[in-house]
Amino acid sequence: MKALDAAIRTAWLFVAWWALAEGEAAAVAFGLGAVPLIALLSWRLFPPGARRPRVLATFAFGGYFLVGSVAAGVDVARRLLSPRLPISPGYMSYKTSLPAGSPRWLLANTLSLLPGTLSVTLRGPEIELHCLDTTAEVHDAVARAEEHIARMFPL
Amino acid sequence: MPDSLVTLLQALLLTLGCLFFLVGTLGLFRLPDTLARIHALTKADNLGLGLIVLGLLPSVPGPATAAKILFIWLVALAASATAAHLVARTVRASDSRSDREDGA
Repeated sequence: MKALDAAIRTAWLFVAWWALAEGEAAAVAFGLGAVPLIALLSWRLFPPGARRPRVLATFAFGGYFLVGSVAAGVDVARRLLSPRLPISPGYMSYKTSLPAGSPRWLLANTLSLLPGTLSVTLRGPEIELHCLDTTAEVHDAVARAEEHIARMFPL
Repeated sequence: MPDSLVTLLQALLLTLGCLFFLVGTLGLFRLPDTLARIHALTKADNLGLGLIVLGLLPSVPGPATAAKILFIWLVALAASATAAHLVARTVRASDSRSDREDGA
């Protein structure tokens, strides 16, 4: 399992290098030497978590996130362009069932980019959110984001 | 698709992307406080940058460059969400501090 994790991470780093070098042959060749060293360093600095994200669920999350991003941008633009400025900001607290570490961080960051929510503080399982419109159905939207992330990191 | 149609679509996406950046900036003027302004900036700019990246994709020289600009979008997203969170947390901390001072 560990060897597979290391191979996956090295492959991703190589893809990142290939993209940064814009596929130029000489630079990619240099990467063949540099990438394993970087992988080694990253392995020391950020040892792999106990859970490896599931591939299919990650794609599903990506799609959900894209749709959410568009909805968030359109939502905020609609409010700003409306002469009445229909907002009613306020705080809301949400208790997440996601485990500490990357799943919780991913949820907090995702919520900041989804419609109407912004992560303010993260204390243990308690996420304090700032909502642009407290009259909207915020709780359900947060629960949906949480569910998507939970499917990515199987327990 | 004929080339002219692709170019038209690109122009549309790039213009729309810039408009979202503009709207995000409008939020700085129209919204009442820091937290609400962060909402506008993160969300509108995320979509604006996404649309600009999408609009540029057909003109990149190869798949590596395409991957690079998509990568730029992803990194910008992570940075904007993290920065938004850090600013929001700082605002919250200084708010509750002044609340306590007011109460004392």
